[in-house]
Amino acid sequence: MGNATVTIGSMVPLTGSSANDGREFRNGLTMAIEEVNARGGILGRPLEAVFIDTGNQTAADVVRAARQLISKHKAAAIINGYNIGPQNAEYEPIADAGIIYMHHNTLIQHHDTVASDPQRYFGCFMSDPAEYWYGPGFIKFLSWLRDSGRWRPRNRRISILSGPKPYSIVIANAMAGAAPKFGWELPHAPQIHPTNSDWRGILEKIRAHDPAVLAMTHFHAGDLARFHLQFMERPLNCLLYLQYGALHRAFSEITGEKGRGVITCTVIGLPRDEIGRKFAADYRARFGPHSTPEIGCQPYCSLHHYAIAAAVAGGIGEPGNEQLNRRIAKALIDIPYRSVAGMIRFHPAWQAAVPFPDATQDPSLGLPHLFYQLRGPEEPAALIAPEPYIEQAFELPPWLGST
Amino acid sequence: MQPMAGSSQDRPQPEVEALRYLPLGLAVWSAGGCLSYCNPAFAEAFGLPHAALKDLRAPELLDRARRQGTLISCELPDGEEAKGLDAGLRGAQLVCADGRILAATESPLPDGGSVTVLIDVTESRRAAQALTRARDKAAAADQSKSRFLRAANHDLRQPLASLKIFAYSCLVAENEEDRRQALHAMEVSISIMEDLLGSLLNIGQLDAGKIQPAVATFQISSILSRLGVQYAHQAREKGLDLRIVPSKLAVVSDRVLLERILSNLVGNAIRYTDVGRVLVGCRRRGLNLRIIVADTGIGIAPAHHGAIFDEFYRVNDTQAHARHSLGLGLNIARRLSDMLDHPLGLVSMPERGSSFFVDVPVGNVWHSGTGEPEISERIGGEFAGICCLVIEDDKILRDAFTTLLERWGLTVVTIEDFDNVAKAVRELPAQPDIILTDYRLRGRIQGTDLVGAINDILEKPCPALVMTAETAPEVIASIKAQGFPLLIKPVSPPSLRVLMHNLLFEPDLLTKFP
Repeated sequence: MGNATVTIGSMVPLTGSSANDGREFRNGLTMAIEEVNARGGILGRPLEAVFIDTGNQTAADVVRAARQLISKHKAAAIINGYNIGPQNAEYEPIADAGIIYMHHNTLIQHHDTVASDPQRYFGCFMSDPAEYWYGPGFIKFLSWLRDSGRWRPRNRRISILSGPKPYSIVIANAMAGAAPKFGWELPHAPQIHPTNSDWRGILEKIRAHDPAVLAMTHFHAGDLARFHLQFMERPLNCLLYLQYGALHRAFSEITGEKGRGVITCTVIGLPRDEIGRKFAADYRARFGPHSTPEIGCQPYCSLHHYAIAAAVAGGIGEPGNEQLNRRIAKALIDIPYRSVAGMIRFHPAWQAAVPFPDATQDPSLGLPHLFYQLRGPEEPAALIAPEPYIEQAFELPPWLGST
Repeated sequence: MQPMAGSSQDRPQPEVEALRYLPLGLAVWSAGGCLSYCNPAFAEAFGLPHAALKDLRAPELLDRARRQGTLISCELPDGEEAKGLDAGLRGAQLVCADGRILAATESPLPDGGSVTVLIDVTESRRAAQALTRARDKAAAADQSKSRFLRAANHDLRQPLASLKIFAYSCLVAENEEDRRQALHAMEVSISIMEDLLGSLLNIGQLDAGKIQPAVATFQISSILSRLGVQYAHQAREKGLDLRIVPSKLAVVSDRVLLERILSNLVGNAIRYTDVGRVLVGCRRRGLNLRIIVADTGIGIAPAHHGAIFDEFYRVNDTQAHARHSLGLGLNIARRLSDMLDHPLGLVSMPERGSSFFVDVPVGNVWHSGTGEPEISERIGGEFAGICCLVIEDDKILRDAFTTLLERWGLTVVTIEDFDNVAKAVRELPAQPDIILTDYRLRGRIQGTDLVGAINDILEKPCPALVMTAETAPEVIASIKAQGFPLLIKPVSPPSLRVLMHNLLFEPDLLTKFP
């Protein structure tokens, strides 16, 4: 192979509802490849990215993209952010080709697919933790607020509202499972609700239960913004948690000052330490002040981790070179990588990143599950937990004073 | 004899010069008890400059080494600390600060003086100590075994004797009611024996040092709720009000051992309380959580408060409740709490109830484990807790679907009797939330018809999807015309998953299904 260019495939939603994230995923991978190439590539071989648009991210879209990357472009690895919808169907052509696949689908299903046949799925890695961890993580966060005296809940009740996607349902179920263990009560089972709807009815039903906390596990920024504006028409006397999408610029742009006080989080983001800040500055310098390094960092980290593992394994394995790719997979597990997002340490059985503090007590051994509270539309969200990543203090949401 | 280094201009004799390179410390004492020669290894053993040792007497030498910090102790063979040494080191054992143990062997010289050789006995001394420890442990285990057997012999005889009588009663019982009563009494005797053996085994494990605490952070609520389940029946049978006040705090302890401590306290409280209630509650005290087990029982006089935690101690053997107890529960609780460093205490007065408490460090809630050994879809997937009725008459296929669906967290039920569907559905262990059916079943039965019948029995439209290996366009069209989503065999798990998700949570998306 000498110093022939290596193709890194990437399946990204450049159109459709996740196009904003898709563009950031493309940016992140592009930036990482530029950096690796500037260092001389992997063992002298330069990298080149091929992006395929996965549009609506259905199983058919994503499987087609994987096949095209393998057959037409001979991709040695496929590295991307998330695709909602393929339900791991894309693992099959990738396992057949015996190449490395690193994604951020944030799905518990990944654990089961890998566990069902570890030999076959040796190359499939999820570089962030499963969505499941949002559940117990959020309940611990609430309990920490309560037990440390940062917030005094009026009662023990948590209402959980979910969107219809598997991701949201899993998180809602995981929250419901963990809540009673930490002294919380569920006044009702998690409510699974269709999106694109009027939320006022369900909000009134929840109001009747008078919860101290309302957790919404649907994740689309636009839907969440609509939900939040309806919530703010007549706020409930409770803390409000909105899943992940509330971190997006689109959410703040729609909700404006009304977004202040909302709690949200991510299991892969950018800690505001020296490494995280430098990456954010470099990323914005490269892709513009309105780009989102918190999302672009995902494939960026994976590409760098892959480059290290391939160099240690002694080369890059194109489709069919399973022997070499198995060595790369082993190196990915054996060598934890302190990325700009924190420590990526693959659990050897899960082949997924271990989250801190949800699954490890040691911040040097897990990817931080970061909790934020939104401030004004022009201010960055305040990073309020967990230690040692805390940057600002939790504040009582403004609507709690007036209800 | 070569004098001390630096004290002579003469060349040393070759054999004396050779002693300088001997790895063993060697010293020569004059008849008057002063050091007249030593080699560098001897001086090094005391950590003193070679030249500074000249003419020193043994007590001065030891004193300087002690002050220097290089010598920890110097014991004579009879175990006495060497203080009044007049000449030489008289077989003393020196414990040095670097961990070495040196034995000083003394030999007389013709001129009345003596020669001392220091031999490193560190390894042999350690081996001897290990041997002693092993012997003591074996003796303790032997003693424990004897005590175990004595206690077992004494305390198991009574329920065994009862069992023999009840077994006889059962054999000669004249009617079903008598036999049932005898069997019930046998069951009680067996459970008493189980408890007694359990306690004895706990003590045995403690004595043998086989219990190793695994300390972690967890929610105390996990133990409290289990205690409630464990003792609710027992308390109800005695007419007692068992009240467990929930706590939201995390603690740092060994989950299993702390539960055993609390279980012993609650079990004791129920045993010694005839009327009233047993209350388990928690109170935060600084950095600790005090877990309290309070009862309205007979209480304990202050004179017994110290001994109540001793092995086999019973305040009053004649009391009925004491008869089925070895007096080991509190001893086990004390020994486990000592092991975990959790203070265990008691506040009690006769006839005014007892309040036992154990103090446990409060933990960081972020570190608190949720008790799940491993995450998987089985416990956390989107389908967890949903019940699926699988109708498939090919057993191999049915088993394969069952395995797959259970891995996704579903509870799977099946029916095999298609002739009496109503009975089969009524006997299902759980009502289905979704149905997965083969199209062509044995006896020319169609899965779609069966689903209709089942819905009538359940009196609800249960979402269903149909699988078939038939690809004839008219069959596919017919199934679709009846409004069922369809999967062609062999079924791909991702497709099945997507379809099940849509059926259950996003039925609007089904219209987009081809």
